[in-house]
Amino acid sequence: MYLTKHLNMSQSKNRLYFLLALLAMYLLLTVATVFAQDATDTEYRPFPGIGSRNAAWIAAQLHLLFGSFILGVPMFAVVIEFVGMKTKDKRYDKMAQEFIKLCMGAFSTTALMGGVLVFILIWCYPKVMNKLSGIFGPSMIFYVILFFGETFTLYLYSYGWDRMQGRVSKMWHLFLGVLLNVFGTAIMFVSNAWLTYQTSPAIMGPKPAHEAIPLHDESGAFIGTLWQAINNYTWMPVNIHRLIGNIAFGGAIVGAYAAFRFLAAKTQEDRAHYDWMGYTGNFIALCGLIPLPFAGYWLGREIYMFNQTMGINMMGSLFSWLFIIQAVMIGVLFIGANYYLWSGMTRIAGGEVYARFRPYMIAIIVLSVAIWMTPRTLIVTPTELAAMGGPNHPLVGLFGLMTAKNTVVNLIILTTFLSFLFYRRSGKTPTVTWRKAGNIIIAVTFGLAVAAIVTIGIVGFKVNTDFRVNVLTPIQVLVALAVMIVVTVIDLIMYRKAMRSSEINWGQMTDRSQYVLILLAITFTSLMGLMGYARSGLREAWHIFGVMPDTSPDAHTPLLADAVNMIAVIIVIFFALVGFIFWLGLWGDKKKEGEPPVEAEASAGDD
Amino acid sequence: MQRKLIRIISLILMVVSFIAYIAKAPAFPIASENLLPWSTWFFIFALANIILWQSVVKLLSFALMVIWFYAFAASIVPETSTATVVITERTPEVFVEAGEAIFNGKGKCNTCHTLDPSAPKSRCPDLTDIGTHAATRQPGMTAKEYLIESTYEPHKFLVPGYSNIMPPVWKPPISLTELEIETVIAFLQSQGGEVDITEFKPPVDIGSAEAIVEEQPPLLTGDVERGKKVFVEGAKCIACHAVAGVEQPAGQTLDEGVEVVAAPELTDIAAVNSLRYIEESVLLPNAQIVSGYGSITVKTGGAIIQGTLVTQDNEEINVRVKDAAGNEEERAILLSDLDPEPIEELTDLTGKGYFWIQVTLADTGATISGDFVEETDESITLQVDGESQIVSKSNVKVQATLIDFDENVIVGELVSENEDEVTLIVDGEEQIIDTFDIDEGPTYSRAFGKRLVVTSPMPNNFPLLLSVSDMSDLLAYLASLTGATAATAAEEAEETAE
Repeated sequence: MYLTKHLNMSQSKNRLYFLLALLAMYLLLTVATVFAQDATDTEYRPFPGIGSRNAAWIAAQLHLLFGSFILGVPMFAVVIEFVGMKTKDKRYDKMAQEFIKLCMGAFSTTALMGGVLVFILIWCYPKVMNKLSGIFGPSMIFYVILFFGETFTLYLYSYGWDRMQGRVSKMWHLFLGVLLNVFGTAIMFVSNAWLTYQTSPAIMGPKPAHEAIPLHDESGAFIGTLWQAINNYTWMPVNIHRLIGNIAFGGAIVGAYAAFRFLAAKTQEDRAHYDWMGYTGNFIALCGLIPLPFAGYWLGREIYMFNQTMGINMMGSLFSWLFIIQAVMIGVLFIGANYYLWSGMTRIAGGEVYARFRPYMIAIIVLSVAIWMTPRTLIVTPTELAAMGGPNHPLVGLFGLMTAKNTVVNLIILTTFLSFLFYRRSGKTPTVTWRKAGNIIIAVTFGLAVAAIVTIGIVGFKVNTDFRVNVLTPIQVLVALAVMIVVTVIDLIMYRKAMRSSEINWGQMTDRSQYVLILLAITFTSLMGLMGYARSGLREAWHIFGVMPDTSPDAHTPLLADAVNMIAVIIVIFFALVGFIFWLGLWGDKKKEGEPPVEAEASAGDD
Repeated sequence: MQRKLIRIISLILMVVSFIAYIAKAPAFPIASENLLPWSTWFFIFALANIILWQSVVKLLSFALMVIWFYAFAASIVPETSTATVVITERTPEVFVEAGEAIFNGKGKCNTCHTLDPSAPKSRCPDLTDIGTHAATRQPGMTAKEYLIESTYEPHKFLVPGYSNIMPPVWKPPISLTELEIETVIAFLQSQGGEVDITEFKPPVDIGSAEAIVEEQPPLLTGDVERGKKVFVEGAKCIACHAVAGVEQPAGQTLDEGVEVVAAPELTDIAAVNSLRYIEESVLLPNAQIVSGYGSITVKTGGAIIQGTLVTQDNEEINVRVKDAAGNEEERAILLSDLDPEPIEELTDLTGKGYFWIQVTLADTGATISGDFVEETDESITLQVDGESQIVSKSNVKVQATLIDFDENVIVGELVSENEDEVTLIVDGEEQIIDTFDIDEGPTYSRAFGKRLVVTSPMPNNFPLLLSVSDMSDLLAYLASLTGATAATAAEEAEETAE
C-alpha cells in the first residue's frame, strides 16, 4: 500500500525528478566505464563557442553550487526536524519537509551538472582525465556506490516523511536523515580528493617540519598510493572548509527562499511563517559563518606549508586583490546579518531597549571591515614612495598586516554574537536574583576579552611571524570562542525561567530586512564563485601543480575582472535554475490544493 | 498602460545593459562620444526597475544589482593579464591592438614604462610619442630600427638618466614570441608615429640553443623556504626591500652602520626581470641601480650632500636627504652648481661618472672646459660652446701635490719625475724635491671634473656576508617571487570563505 501510494508518482514533479535522477545516474555510470579506458593521445579538444575552460568552469561551478545546496539543506533539515521533535513544534517539521522537497529537484540538477562536467572534461581534457582516472580510478567506483546510497536514502527520507511519524518511526526517519548527510559528506570528501590533488600533489612529511613529500618522480610518473593521493596536503582543510561553508550556504539559501515567499505572501499567517523561516535560515547561516574564517585560515596555512610560492601568490601577489574583494563580501555578510538581527528586534516589544548600543556596534563593525579591507602594499610611484617614506604607509600600512586583520575579525565576530545576545534577550526579563551580578560578569567578560584581543593584536606587531601565527593568533581565537561559550552558558541559565513581557510578532518585519536576506544569499554565492576561482587559479599554468603543465591555449590565469564576469553569469544561471525549482515546488503545491489528498485517492483506489 | 510600457522598456534595458556590461561591449555612444559606460547604464536602469516595479521584478532587479556590484567592484582592481593575445591578421590595426594588449599584459611593459608625460617619473622612460622620438635617439637609426634594438637588446643603448634594468623581452620570464614583439613595436610606433608592419629579421635568434642556455640560471639549486629565512632574518633584506605578504620581524635590529633606506619592492621581481639580472643584483649590487633608488654624494658650495638620487635630467638632479632629526626632504641641485674635483688619471672617465671636465693645455696654457662626450686611449672629446673639441691626454698640464716631513703642502705644475726626485714649477719657479723628503704624495691632478656617482645602498661586501648555501637559497627565493600584480595584503594565510 505504502509503495503503491508513493511510487505511483501521481505528482508530476516527482516523476520528473525521478527521471532526471535516473538519467544523471545513467550518465555517470557511462562515464565511469570511460574512465577505465585509455584515452587517445589527444591532449585537448576545443569546446565549441565558449571554449573548453569556460565550459568546464560553468559546469563545475554550477555543479558545486547545487552540490552545496543539496549537502547544506539536508543538514539544515535534519537539525530542524530534530528541534521540531524535541520541542513538539510542528512548524519545524513542516519547514524541514518543505526543504527536502526542494532538495529533490536540486538533487537531479546537481547530478545532471556533474554528468555534464564529466563529459566536458573527458571530451576537452582527455589526457588530464586519463592521468587522474589512472590514479583515482578505484575511488571513482566508490563515488558511484556512494551516489547510489545518497540517492535512495534521499528518496526514502523524502517520501517517507509523512509515513514515518510517531516517536519510534521519527527516530528512524531522523536516522535516515543522518545517513543521507553521511553519504552526502562522503561524496564531497571523495570528489574533493581529486581536485585538491591537482592543487597539492604531495603528502605532509613528519613533524615538526611537515615538509611536502611529492607523489611523482621527476618524469611526472605517480609513485604514491591511492590513499596518499587522496590524503594530500590540502584535502582535509578543503573538506572542513566546504562542510562548514555548506551549512552557511544552505542556511542563506533557505533565508532567501523565505524572504521571497515573505514578500510574495498574501496573508498574515504566511508572512509569519516565512518570517520565522527566514530567521531560522539566517541563524543557521550565522552559525556556519562564524567558524568559517577559522577554517579558511587553516586551509590557507596548509597551502603555505605545501608551497611557499603558492601561498605568496595567493595572499601577496597574483590573488592578493581578490582577498580584498573577499573582505568586502564578508564585510557585507556580517553587516547584513547584524542588520537583520537588529531589524528582528523591532518585532519584539521590549527589544528597543538595546537600540542605544547599535550606533557603537555599527561603528565597530564598519571600522573593523575597513581595516580588514586595507591592503598591505600597493604599486606606488617614486613621488608617493617618497611621500610615505617607504613602501608602506606609516599608519594605514599597519592595518594591512595579518595581526590587525585577525584582531578585527575577532571583534566583528564578538559584535555579531552580542547582536544575537541582545536579540535573544528582547522581550524577556530574567527572574533570577543574581541577574545584576550576571550582567556585570557578562559585561566584564566581554570587556576583558576585547582588551585581550586588542592587546594581543598590538603585541603581534612586535613579535616574529612564527610566534604570532602559531601562538598569538590561536590564543586570540580561543579568547573569542571562550567568551561566546561562557556568556552563552551564563545567559542560558539567567534566562531559563525568564518572564516574557511579549511574544515575538512573527511577520512584523520590514521588507528591507527581507532584501537583506536575499543580499546575504547572493553574497554567499558570489563568495563561493570567487574562492572557487582562487582555489583553481592557484595552480596557475598547471593541470596538476608541478607535475602536468597546461599547454592549452587557456594556459594562463584569467584576470580577476574577467573572472568576476564569468562568476556573475554563473550566479545568474544558478539563481534562475533555483528559482525554477522553487517555482516548480510552488506549482506542484498549488495543483495539489485543487486535488483530493493522496491518501484519500489511494484509499479509494484500493477499495 | 503607459506606465506598464515604461516598466517593460525599463526592464528590457536593464537586462540588455547587464549583458552588455558582462560581455564588455563597447560603450553605447551618445552624440558620437562614449559618454556613459554600460555599468552606469545598468545602474540607472536597475534603480529605475527597483522603483517602478513591485514584488518579483523588484526583487530580481535588486538581485541583479547585487551580482553586478561585486563584478564591478572586482573589475576596477589594477592587474595585468598573462594571456596569449590572438593575432588574427597582419594589418596595422590588428597589430596595434594586439601590441597594446601585450604592452599592458603579458609583456609587463607598463610595470616600468608610462605613456603619460605628466605621470611621475617611473623606472624606465616615458614612451609618449615614442613613435617619432625613437628616430632621434640614436644617429643613423630609424624609429623602427631603434625600437627593434630596444626590445631585443635593450642594454645596447640607455636613455640618459636610466639604468640598464630592462630584460630582453624574448627571454624568460616574459618570453614574448617574435610575432608578439612585432605587435608591441607596432603599438609603440602608433604612439605619434607611422605604423610599419613589414617583417624584419630579428637581431637575435630566439630559438637558438645559445640564447636559451644563456638564460639558464647557474645558482638555482637553493631552497626557497630557507632562502626566505635568509631574506628576512639572515641578511635582513626585508628591512629595506618590501615583498607583499612578508613582514619584517618585530624588533629586528640592523648591524651598526646599516640604515633603512627606500629600496625597490621585490614582490614580482622574478616576473619582470631575468634570473641573470637578479643574480647580478645580489652579487654585484652596483652593477645596475634601479632609477630612484641609488645613493649619491655630491659637493656643492663646499658642502657635501649625501642622499638618494630621485630624478636626474640634463640640468639638475633631485636628491632626497635626511636632516639631523631624521626628516626627509627633496633638494634640487643644478649640475652647474657642483664643485669640480681634481682628476688624477684621465682614464675610464665614463665609468667614473664624469659629465663635465676642465683641462689646461700644456702647449698653449689655455684652459678648456665643457661637457664630456667620449674618450679614447689617447684623447678625450669635450663639447665646448656647442662644438666638439678633442684634447690629447698627453697635452694637459699636470698639477702635483705633496707634503714634506715638515708638513708643508707643496702644489705645483709637474715638469718631470723619477725615482730620486720630482720637479715642479711652484709660483713660476722650478723646484726640485728629493723623494727622500716626501712624506705623502705626490698626488696628481690632470684635470678638474664634475661627476655623479650613483651607488647601491646595499653593502658592497654583501656577497661576502653570506655563505654559498645561503646565497644559493636567497637566489632561489628571489626567483620564486613571480607575482603578476604587485599589490596588497598579508603575509600568510588569511581567512578564506569558499
